[in-house]
Amino acid sequence: MPQTTIYSAPPNSPLVPIPAVATHEVARLFGGSAALAGVSLSVERGRLVTLVGPNGAGKTTLLRILATSLRPTFGAALVDGIDVVARPELVRRRVAFLAHATGLYDDLTATENLRFAATMLGRADAADAVPATLADVGLAADADRRVRGFSAGMRRRLALGRLLLAEPSLVLLDEPHAALDADGMALVDRLLERWREGGATVMVASHHADRIMDLADGWARLDGGLLVETGGRGIGATAPALARTAPATAVADR
Amino acid sequence: MTGARADLAIAWAIARKDALSELRGRQAAGSTLFFAALVLLLFGFALGPDSRKLAEAAPGLLWLAIVFGGLLTVARLHQVETDDDALDQLARYPVDRRAIYLGKALAGLLAMAVLGGLLLPVVGIMYSVDLLAAGPGLLLTLLLGAIGFAAVGTLYAGVTVRMRAREVMLPLLMLPAIAPLLLAAVKATTAALAGDPLGEFWPWVQLLAGFDVIMLIAGGAGYGFLLEE
Amino acid sequence: MKTRILGVVALLAVLAAAANALFVVPADLNQGDAQRIMYVHVPSAWLGYLSGGVTALAGIGYLWKRDLRLDAIALSAAEMGVMFTAFAIWGGMMWARPIWGVFWQWEDPRLTTTALLLALYAGYLLFRRLTDDPHRRAARAAVVGLVAAADIPIVHFSVEWWRGLHQGPTIGSPDKLLTPAAPSQFVIALLAMLGAFTLAWAWLMIRRYQLARIQWQLEEHGRLGRLSAARRAATSTSASVQASTEGAP
Repeated sequence: MPQTTIYSAPPNSPLVPIPAVATHEVARLFGGSAALAGVSLSVERGRLVTLVGPNGAGKTTLLRILATSLRPTFGAALVDGIDVVARPELVRRRVAFLAHATGLYDDLTATENLRFAATMLGRADAADAVPATLADVGLAADADRRVRGFSAGMRRRLALGRLLLAEPSLVLLDEPHAALDADGMALVDRLLERWREGGATVMVASHHADRIMDLADGWARLDGGLLVETGGRGIGATAPALARTAPATAVADR
Repeated sequence: MTGARADLAIAWAIARKDALSELRGRQAAGSTLFFAALVLLLFGFALGPDSRKLAEAAPGLLWLAIVFGGLLTVARLHQVETDDDALDQLARYPVDRRAIYLGKALAGLLAMAVLGGLLLPVVGIMYSVDLLAAGPGLLLTLLLGAIGFAAVGTLYAGVTVRMRAREVMLPLLMLPAIAPLLLAAVKATTAALAGDPLGEFWPWVQLLAGFDVIMLIAGGAGYGFLLEE
Repeated sequence: MKTRILGVVALLAVLAAAANALFVVPADLNQGDAQRIMYVHVPSAWLGYLSGGVTALAGIGYLWKRDLRLDAIALSAAEMGVMFTAFAIWGGMMWARPIWGVFWQWEDPRLTTTALLLALYAGYLLFRRLTDDPHRRAARAAVVGLVAAADIPIVHFSVEWWRGLHQGPTIGSPDKLLTPAAPSQFVIALLAMLGAFTLAWAWLMIRRYQLARIQWQLEEHGRLGRLSAARRAATSTSASVQASTEGAP
């Protein structure tokens, strides 16, 4: 494999635990444009941090790379010290991602969708966990309705339920408040609290920054594919990697 | 062995989900069957009216109808994953990619086997072919042909599902690739229907089986690479 | 420079072998001068197969190493494959007309095998054009190439079996050159042409690959340029990167 697992740690503090997320000049190009132009940041374990920035700043791209849905064009991204390109299967066990699209099967019921997810996630206790999860997200009454008839808000809730089933150590949320009413947004806040209490690391990309800011430990602003500013605790910009990483595609003549 | 057993359970879960979607999915599967039967009817118009000639051509026409219906079927099985970007989500589960491939190929096999099985009586009636004389050999050929088509079709559907011009790309890639399958299936079917006078049946069936094995291996190896962006 | 020498050598070899095949070697007793097409048709077909193998192996290499240069090799080989296979089919048709009276026939199904090979290549090349992102394109193409390569031996074998069931014409058979009974002059002429064609193939591959590599480097250069331009733009608007002061690792 072209990438090796890299462990990053500042030189003067050998006992600092491995960050939940660490990126080293990670960049992603789509055709001509750079969605991410080289971002180096680090997120401390157990923190709730938010990514803010205008549309097209690279928030979604960064989250997707961390979720192993996208390969970086340059640079490296590490989850719990594991390279997302070198060992994606290990990363997938730890991460759960709420994308823009909910990824549900229209012709299946809510229960069937979650049961399928539970099987894919390797949960043996699907029979008990699924009804409990549906209750948690407020869909108990619609458990046996087909998703085709669901509103956007209901689909979001179901997707959040799928996240709960994953029991991840890193939760990535891309605009979780979108399409939700007041109850739904309150649900998201509750879940954020629950994850934080459980010791999971949470990264939220959101336009509703004010809502999250109360809960979040720290924040990072992206713009034009670059990290512009950070604040609060638990998230910070890092210098380019101490260990040299070979970019995903090397341009230099060999 | 628990790893392999877990993979099989994953594959089975995916196949079940697809089968459920197929059964409930607004009779899309039924439309495909109807389309294939129409193709058979039109072949009759194009090549008839000599019933004897049509009866001779029946195996070829049957498999052509299966191929055309099959193109729609494998495309549909992957289409269900794009409606809500479900494929994206599927790729994020911590499961072996080969299990995903196997699951979708299994669903494809079931759909193809049903399609082919239901077309048999249509062919029997329309082209006056005595199917019962063929016995289990015919069913074996159908099964092996369905496996091969599903193996290649699942892979190519996965390749083309997020591409531009996918409606034409899938047939364009698939038709040359399954040409040997078509040949072997038709030859085996012909032999089975005629009572295998020249002993050709088993060699063609072996070729079919070989095709299936090779394509399943190639598909399993390659499918994972398609799920990354 | 070395490539240029190769090119000159290849050109001379082809001319020499062609002169030999056309003027020096005696015509076939049964088929007459038409049989001379075989000296070109057979090597073309072989190089068509060879190109397929290279395409598949380069694709697998890409999937393993993620090096786009391997993808450039795969693309070059596929274009060679289309060219030589199309040439082989054309040669086959030109030969079939005087010998069998038709351009195409199904009893000797090697024409069909070659046509399928051409279809696989053409599909591969068309398919490549529909994806813009170079890595995604390379990965998808590698998978398609892999399956196509797995298919070729099956196609070949199944068609040989099909042919075996129907007694093809023996006098007008293109196989004459390949049987042990063929006169040694014929065989030498064929091998000479094969060698010359292979040199030409190698030269074409190298040139095509160099072209692909330049194209890719230009693309890469453009991408990196845009990357650094984006960074310069961001830093020049005095948005600075601030490390947080507490708690960040």
